Amino acid sequence: MTEVRTPKKRGAAEGEDNVSFGITETEPDATGSGAATGPSAGWLRWGWRQLTSMRTALVLLFLLALGSVPGSVLPQQGSDPGAVQQYFASHPQLAPWLNHLGLFNVFAAPWFAAIYLLLFTSLVGCVVPRTFRLAGSARTPPPRAPRNLERLPHSASFSSGLAPAAAVDAAATVLGGQRFRLRRPASGDPAHWVSAEKGYLREAGNLLFHLALLGVLVSVAIGGLFGYKADKLLVEGQGFSDTLPALDEFHPGRLVSGSDLAPFSLTLNRFSASYLTSGESRGQPSNFDAYVSYAASPGASQRTDHIRINDPLSVDSVKVYLIGHGYAPVFKVTDAHGKVAYDEATPFIPANTGTFLSDGVVKAPDASLGFMGVFVPTAVSVGGELQSVFPAADFPAVSLIGYSGNLGMNSGVPQSVYQLNTTGLAKIAGSPHLMLPGQTWKLPGGRTITFTGVRQWVSLAVTYDPGQVPALVCGILALAGLLLSFLVRRRRVFVRAVPSPAGTGSVVTVGGLARTDASGGFEDEFASLAAELASESRESRERKPEPNNQSEPGA
Amino acid sequence: MFKAKRRTVVTVAAVAAVLLAGALTVTLTQGSGQASGVTYIGGNKSQLMYAEGHRPVAPDFNATSLTGSPIRLSSYRGKVVVLNFWGSWCAPCRGEAPTLAVLSEQYRSKGVSFLGDDVGDTTANALAFTHSVGISYPSVNDAGYAIVQDFSRVAPVSDTPTTVVIDRTGHVAGLVIGTVSYQTMNTMLHDVAASR
Repeated sequence: MTEVRTPKKRGAAEGEDNVSFGITETEPDATGSGAATGPSAGWLRWGWRQLTSMRTALVLLFLLALGSVPGSVLPQQGSDPGAVQQYFASHPQLAPWLNHLGLFNVFAAPWFAAIYLLLFTSLVGCVVPRTFRLAGSARTPPPRAPRNLERLPHSASFSSGLAPAAAVDAAATVLGGQRFRLRRPASGDPAHWVSAEKGYLREAGNLLFHLALLGVLVSVAIGGLFGYKADKLLVEGQGFSDTLPALDEFHPGRLVSGSDLAPFSLTLNRFSASYLTSGESRGQPSNFDAYVSYAASPGASQRTDHIRINDPLSVDSVKVYLIGHGYAPVFKVTDAHGKVAYDEATPFIPANTGTFLSDGVVKAPDASLGFMGVFVPTAVSVGGELQSVFPAADFPAVSLIGYSGNLGMNSGVPQSVYQLNTTGLAKIAGSPHLMLPGQTWKLPGGRTITFTGVRQWVSLAVTYDPGQVPALVCGILALAGLLLSFLVRRRRVFVRAVPSPAGTGSVVTVGGLARTDASGGFEDEFASLAAELASESRESRERKPEPNNQSEPGA
Repeated sequence: MFKAKRRTVVTVAAVAAVLLAGALTVTLTQGSGQASGVTYIGGNKSQLMYAEGHRPVAPDFNATSLTGSPIRLSSYRGKVVVLNFWGSWCAPCRGEAPTLAVLSEQYRSKGVSFLGDDVGDTTANALAFTHSVGISYPSVNDAGYAIVQDFSRVAPVSDTPTTVVIDRTGHVAGLVIGTVSYQTMNTMLHDVAASR
């Protein structure tokens, strides 16, 4: 049935919108009035059409993916400048060339910007005109009824006792009751027909999809321009305010400056990690809870919350995620005069995330002392070597290697707090020295170091992405629009009535056309509709014996 | 008629997209612009002075010094204040401290007060340092960076150390992000201390 395509070309195709093939419609127009605009305008239009074609968009998308590859293969200035220096040192020939191509800062390189700007333009140029066309298509009334309804994919005919005009009126009432959009002949047209169309929601869905796609693009751009991400390590009892100097790392969006940070402050009151103590997965973490108090802005009321993995704290549109934890042994160092030169919980970095054996350094420049240490939360001695058997701090111990001398911190050259440069320092006899909490190691020159206790630290990620929620909403809307445009069928039903050859009454023909019947089912819908039209025609006659004169004032 | 309209729509969309792309390119390549009333000392963006009339109000604070006495910024009104954000863990801060100590002695008689703001530190570590270097001016305890946060909202306090010069009316006259040099501070203070 459906292979009968010819009628579409004649009658029904009159209003057929070749939405996705707009070029065919603009082409004759371009030759007509475009002649006056000159050849440069023609080239421009050609270029624009090429840029906004689907193929170009796909090629650009592919280039974008390809262009980001060096960004993940080569070290990048933005995220790891140290590694870039190392690369320069180890590849003195190649590195300058790569640098010329911007491969050490790919995401800020002009060629990368060119790709994504072209892609953005291509998408916008494709989606915006299409949006207008879809909006136009959703407004167009149904086309005139074709002459030969029998040639449509679905058709039926029945004879009615009503006169042609009354029969069509009755059909229009039924169709209108089913929320079809109707079109009747213009006044003066002697023919009796009605065109009905339904399923405009399909166009609305399509429109929604395209608009939401634009929304996603804009959201991503907003996130990239105004969002930021920062990291902060915090020991129990410590607090910080969200401001540049307080952050360990800061990755701002293009248009973010230090004064744009959300003015919250946060204190880590306590951190608790629990681990499975038995079974095969003994030592596996079962829970992490960071108990914090925070204020959304200076002077605002303090509130408490607890942050878990994947359960961030939301404060002033910023999200604070828990991304890591570790131990910070507390050391107290006294100088030769017995005065305290250092008293601080010192974060050690886990070297083994299973047992939390951790490395760290202690720098007490005012007592001319530096230490490299290993911390174990649950200590055992394996053949004289310190090992950890469990990640919880059940039996903590540290092993320190002490150094004496000028640590070079007063020279003003920045140093990492996690590294100790031992050149020029003298190793202290008795190193490495094992200490348990509360124990003191007496050092040369009357100095001492005491391992006073253990605290825990957490690593927090502070993220602000103003495009996240809009992108999610637009994503959902795009999906909803896509579903609508897939599930809703746009279908047309035509009814024509001609005087019956027998004299009284008329012959009514019903034709049906589903323009997109991917999900099927129009055949059944059409059959029941045709039956309803036929029965309505019969009932009208029974209710109204002489409808002929009344019902054709407009005909 | 209808087709002509459609073409207008396409053209408008094209022009809009090109404009958008152009605007994006400009913002992406240019970055943030320079505020008016700001001059950079020696062409260095980390050393800047605000012209009078363009000086942001220094946010007041009421804090406790490392030795336990209360310090209120507004009580320094009528004096020039050099507020140095530092920490004993920060090598550049330790490196510049002797310079600040010399300047504080030199400008004491000219109505300039020096004040430290000790960030991300413990009191024990901070005092051990000020004693060993011989810093005589007081520092407030700002372990949680609250005062830094207030200042960063009016001026680009973006690193440790940062040194802010506050004029006699309580406005930020200039600042140095990173290590100060004697020369820069001397020029700045000479300027700010001279005006009443």
